[in-house]
Amino acid sequence: MAVLEEPIKEIKEVKNFINGEWVESKGEIVDVVNPANCKTIGRVPISTKEEIDAAVAAAQEAWPDWRRTTPLARSRILFRLKDLLEENFEEVSRIQTQEHGKCIDESRGETRRGIENVEVGCGMPTLMQGYVSEDIAHGIDEYVIPTPLGVFGIIGPFNFPWMIPLWSAPYALATGNCIVIKPSSEVPLSQTRLAELAEEAGFPPGVWNVVNGGRTVVNGMLDHPGIVGITFVGSTPTGRDVIYKRCGATGKRVIAQCGAKNFMTIMPDCDVERTIAAMMTSFFGNTGQRCLSAANAVIVGDDDAFYRDFVEKVIERTSNIKIGYGLDESVQMGPLRDKSKKERVLSYIETGIKEGAKLLLDGRKVNIVGDYPDTCFLGPTIFDGVRPDSKVGSEEIFGPVMSIMRVKTLEEAIEISNANAFGNGHSIFTSSGKAAREFQYNIVSGNVGINIGIVAPMAFFPFSGMKDSFYGVLHTQGKEAVRFFTESKVVIQRWF
Amino acid sequence: MELNTASSVISFARELEENSARFYEGLAKQYPRGEQTFLDFAKENRKFIKQFETAYYGVITDAIEGCFAFSIDPDKYKIDTQPANDVSGAVSQAVTVEDILIRFYTDAAEQSKSLMADVPRAFTLIARKRSGRKQALESIR
Repeated sequence: MAVLEEPIKEIKEVKNFINGEWVESKGEIVDVVNPANCKTIGRVPISTKEEIDAAVAAAQEAWPDWRRTTPLARSRILFRLKDLLEENFEEVSRIQTQEHGKCIDESRGETRRGIENVEVGCGMPTLMQGYVSEDIAHGIDEYVIPTPLGVFGIIGPFNFPWMIPLWSAPYALATGNCIVIKPSSEVPLSQTRLAELAEEAGFPPGVWNVVNGGRTVVNGMLDHPGIVGITFVGSTPTGRDVIYKRCGATGKRVIAQCGAKNFMTIMPDCDVERTIAAMMTSFFGNTGQRCLSAANAVIVGDDDAFYRDFVEKVIERTSNIKIGYGLDESVQMGPLRDKSKKERVLSYIETGIKEGAKLLLDGRKVNIVGDYPDTCFLGPTIFDGVRPDSKVGSEEIFGPVMSIMRVKTLEEAIEISNANAFGNGHSIFTSSGKAAREFQYNIVSGNVGINIGIVAPMAFFPFSGMKDSFYGVLHTQGKEAVRFFTESKVVIQRWF
Repeated sequence: MELNTASSVISFARELEENSARFYEGLAKQYPRGEQTFLDFAKENRKFIKQFETAYYGVITDAIEGCFAFSIDPDKYKIDTQPANDVSGAVSQAVTVEDILIRFYTDAAEQSKSLMADVPRAFTLIARKRSGRKQALESIR
């Protein structure tokens, strides 16, 4: 099939967006590389402390007026943004594929998910209403006014470069806060386009800011007294040891959504064909680079024939996955984001072999559709006989690796899933309502799938997470995001 | 090459609808007796494109099996769009086109049933609407 047209045709010089202006950074400049063809498509600055300070200052200055802007007027700007995002849907999606490598279906899915959050944010005049109790005592009323807090920092990851900042931004803005977004420096181009469209939608200067960069920008956000809260999506060590701790130390609100090791429990009564289709998406979609990817397939029961047939079918289906450039519509799995990420996954494959797991499918041998360098490409890998306490069975690999485990009972499957440090997106495939309910009740996981392989909550539900997958109290998206971005001002009134 | 991704199947469906719309526009010019019917069909084809694109772009998400929901062999659904020499031949040809397209939508819907959310439903509705065309075509003959 033909490769879809690339929207980025020449190298894009990425700038920061501060106080309604596109400004060049004084920081070091690094290349943004398309992982499929290894071509440089952009240059992004690693911004300085002064630049993050300038963005926060601009946001602080803009905040009083933005707070006084009525919720309805703020929502109207979000409605305009929503229209612009729909108009530019395809371009925004293709940019994601160019900068990240994911397939075009996946990029469009990411775009749709992001827009859905804007749509929910458009309903803020209703969503942020307070509540009142008349006559808490004779002649005295009490009520809650949800009030915005000020300036929030939003730190985005590389795996969903466009969507994830939108788990926070529409809610923060619609409730009357200002934002500073730090996109991943590996994939800043779709966030740049988003900010361009936000500017066109009419957000006043200083309300929506973008500062590109790395650690300096993150530290600048964490230490800045003008930032009242942070949302972060990334690895557990950074989320737990840096973001969560430092926000605690500096008195900031925090949502830190972190790593995962998701277990998919497969019962012998599952719909085999549909389970396997869901497994392909869950284990290998986005090349395994997502916190909701399944990592361990736990096959339940002592029926050897079922086990053997099921695994054979999984191998056959996996072997046929078409790998290549995500803008080729026939491609089902793109490259890893960069070479270092590929090397990390390769090291886990080596570890799995050393740990004694049986290599059923070796992703190190990869056939690529089209003429592309194999720098970032890796095929899907399947291990069998993986121990849940081994490195491969317990640590987050963040790549297209499936580890198969076998247990006798559902209880055992739940037990090994719960023994893992993470609790992000476990799932079960079964035709038994009883088994599904038992799983749902006993599994310790923020998001639970029943015959769903990727448990990605809709925008009007919280994106949850438990144990080492999440640090904080409230989550991004939906009503919880509204709570996170507002403080409850309680008023008790009496008139003499 | 087999089509497995939703994107490739949507593109293929778009191509089939465009080709068959042009085919009907050609027939409308050639055979005045069926002009209105052929033009209506061409117009409706473009509505079908909108219908399945709306379904696809409305529900595409990483929670469903967008890249793994189909196994369509495009060679099985090739349509002959060179208009026949007489009206009866043209009608037979149009009936064949409709049969092929109905088969395509039915197969694609069956494969993606419960995997692609609203998309198979849109495909099924289009197949159903198309099956009503045959009677109108026969009346032209």
